[in-house]
Amino acid sequence: MRKELPMIVTVVSGLVVVFSRYFHYGMQLGLMDTLDKWYLVSSSFAILLGIVNMVKIHWGYIRRRKEGWWNSIVLLLCLFGYGALTIQQTVDGPQAAWIFNNVITPGDSTMFALIAFFISSAAYRAFRVRTKEATVLLLAAVIVLLGKAPIGDAMINGWGNVADWIMNVPNTGGFRAIIIGAAIGAFATGFRILLGLERAHLGGTGAK
Amino acid sequence: MLLAAEAAKPYLGVFAQGMFAQFVLMLVFAFIVWFMVTRAKAGMKIPEIRKINGLEALDEAIGRATEMGRPVHFTPGLGTVGNAMTFAAFGLLGYVAKLCAKYDTRLIQTNADYVVLAINEEIIRQAYLEAGRPDAFNADDVQFMSDQQFAYASNVMNMFQKEKPAANIMMGAFWAESLIFAETASFIGAIQIAGTASTSQLPFFITACDYTLIGEEIYAASAYLSKEPVLYGSLVGQDWAKIFVFAVILVGTVIANFQAKGNWLTTILKK
Repeated sequence: MRKELPMIVTVVSGLVVVFSRYFHYGMQLGLMDTLDKWYLVSSSFAILLGIVNMVKIHWGYIRRRKEGWWNSIVLLLCLFGYGALTIQQTVDGPQAAWIFNNVITPGDSTMFALIAFFISSAAYRAFRVRTKEATVLLLAAVIVLLGKAPIGDAMINGWGNVADWIMNVPNTGGFRAIIIGAAIGAFATGFRILLGLERAHLGGTGAK
Repeated sequence: MLLAAEAAKPYLGVFAQGMFAQFVLMLVFAFIVWFMVTRAKAGMKIPEIRKINGLEALDEAIGRATEMGRPVHFTPGLGTVGNAMTFAAFGLLGYVAKLCAKYDTRLIQTNADYVVLAINEEIIRQAYLEAGRPDAFNADDVQFMSDQQFAYASNVMNMFQKEKPAANIMMGAFWAESLIFAETASFIGAIQIAGTASTSQLPFFITACDYTLIGEEIYAASAYLSKEPVLYGSLVGQDWAKIFVFAVILVGTVIANFQAKGNWLTTILKK
């Protein structure tokens, strides 16, 4: 029953979602809302799994004095310290909000800013004229980059229109084709799960 | 003077409003997939599936990590368990974990969702058991890092610098952190296999990774790797469903060119 019971729960939940979405009576019963609430409640308990996992791993690093173990002390102090603070004064409390706005948010912004440099290094490696595809990629990138900046139209009148055409026609067409394929692929995966053919989420190598 | 609005007519249909056409399309797709699965179950011939280079390269990537004595890293991205791409990652993780168990290669698996963490830990544990190496499974290598996007990204960057995995496998739902992972792994010389259906991140993976699975290829992963005829049949069914969609698009394009407003196809599809 270790694998059969989760599979039964999965199939029944999937059928409930189909019934709630497509049938008027299913919508009126509000089963989707009920399922969503159950998911929220159960995933809230699952937070404990994440906390236990982090504490176990980082406590092990501290005990074994693994390289950089003092970072683990800082992490555990922040985890429990900030957790206690938000329990005491909620996330909108003065100190909790200050920490979030002045420590966490700038940290996120810093990491996001790094992406600009990573894009440059990735582009430098990718835009080398070694194959036909790389050449086409390079030409398209040059046309679109210059077209999106004022310099393109300043050099050649209408350059921006060419860049817009590349973005709106072949690029959008390609993206939509990928989205259609991915949507059908997701449907087929869901259908395999409903039929019980796909069992990867139950453990092991997955297929029946 | 009272202006009484006319009472709204109650809706008495069986199907939810605007859902009939979707339901019929869903049945059509389900029939196509079911038909091919049934053909495969009956042992009838089904069309071959083309080679997917990224999946064929998995053995090479893990073998490379084994030879270099460095670990393999696997991440299912930032998606929750309700995301179809995360489900696709589960199938691949089982295969990767079984190979790592067989070759005695360390597998570091990082997570940004605690529910996904629990599922992945069980998948890896079961894979090691199936490979006959339950003793080699290390629960400390299945790590929850953070559910915040950039906290997770910075943790993974730090892990890359410390552990220097020789193979980086990224399969699932990714957002802005995808390029951070890919570039950092590139700096440490890891071979990279990535797959996502997030169209905004595909260009980053294609430029930075050695092999990229695009869109539907990630949903084919578990079926492709298991080599089971029944699952192969579902992949063929998926392709036939795509052909059906393209036929509808073609017909719709022709009709729209002659009858832009109120054509019968859009009327049917809106029901």
